[in-house]
Amino acid sequence: MKKWLWTPFVYVAGKKALVLGWLVMGVTACLSFFSRTHFDGVLDVHVGMSRPLPLYFLEQFISWSSAVLLFYLVGRVSSDSSIRSIDVAGTLALSRWPMIFVSLISFGFPHNLDIRHIDPVWVLLSLLEVAFVVWMVALMYNAFTVSCNLKGGKATRVFILALMLSEILSKILFYLIYKPVL
Amino acid sequence: MPINKTFPNECPACGSALRVTTLSCASCDTTIGGSFELPALSKLPAEDFQFVLDFIKCSGSLKIMAQQMGLSYPTVRNRLDEVISKIVAIEKQSGKKST
Repeated sequence: MKKWLWTPFVYVAGKKALVLGWLVMGVTACLSFFSRTHFDGVLDVHVGMSRPLPLYFLEQFISWSSAVLLFYLVGRVSSDSSIRSIDVAGTLALSRWPMIFVSLISFGFPHNLDIRHIDPVWVLLSLLEVAFVVWMVALMYNAFTVSCNLKGGKATRVFILALMLSEILSKILFYLIYKPVL
Repeated sequence: MPINKTFPNECPACGSALRVTTLSCASCDTTIGGSFELPALSKLPAEDFQFVLDFIKCSGSLKIMAQQMGLSYPTVRNRLDEVISKIVAIEKQSGKKST
């Protein structure tokens, strides 16, 4: 059970993981539409404005594809193993599954969020969401180490670099998307 | 009851690589003495050697191997990479000793 929660990629990768991951991302997009949760970055979660449904799918796609692109490139450069893009894409898609819980938790926030009147319940819900994001990052790390065959300190350093670069890339893409809306 | 012996690939006293000094024929009892280097594959730990055998039986297909082991493709590929690096290290060590 513990292995399935933290390192499911020992058992599932490639196409199977990709299909499952896309399914998870689709469900997350639908739920986030109703709970007004925005995944506007590889690591970002924001609750607030209502947007058209396709934008929630686009957010999922950009967050995932930015990570896939950077993790694959960084993996190719730093790993001696013959890594496959389908494994990187699949495992990273599946590692987003804790975001389903984040979308569900966001239903707990009121419709008109006023930052000047912070409720202790909101703080608790926010911390809970952070915990699920941490879980996702742990899964992403395991996805990266399994699909790119990296271990130890090198894996950690390269993972942090890829994560930071993918976050920057996704932020640029979201800026370009939201710019005409703002 | 037959005893399931495991092939010793390192010295139990000091951990160094072992060499073959005696070979005997089971049918005519002829014994040959000398000092022979063990092949690199036989110096692998038992589980790695079994992995190599299974890999050959799967016609070298990591996909089939992954299905049979119930593991993902990259996990099996990583395991193979690990065995390859062990073989390379063994070969390097043997090369150093022979020179």
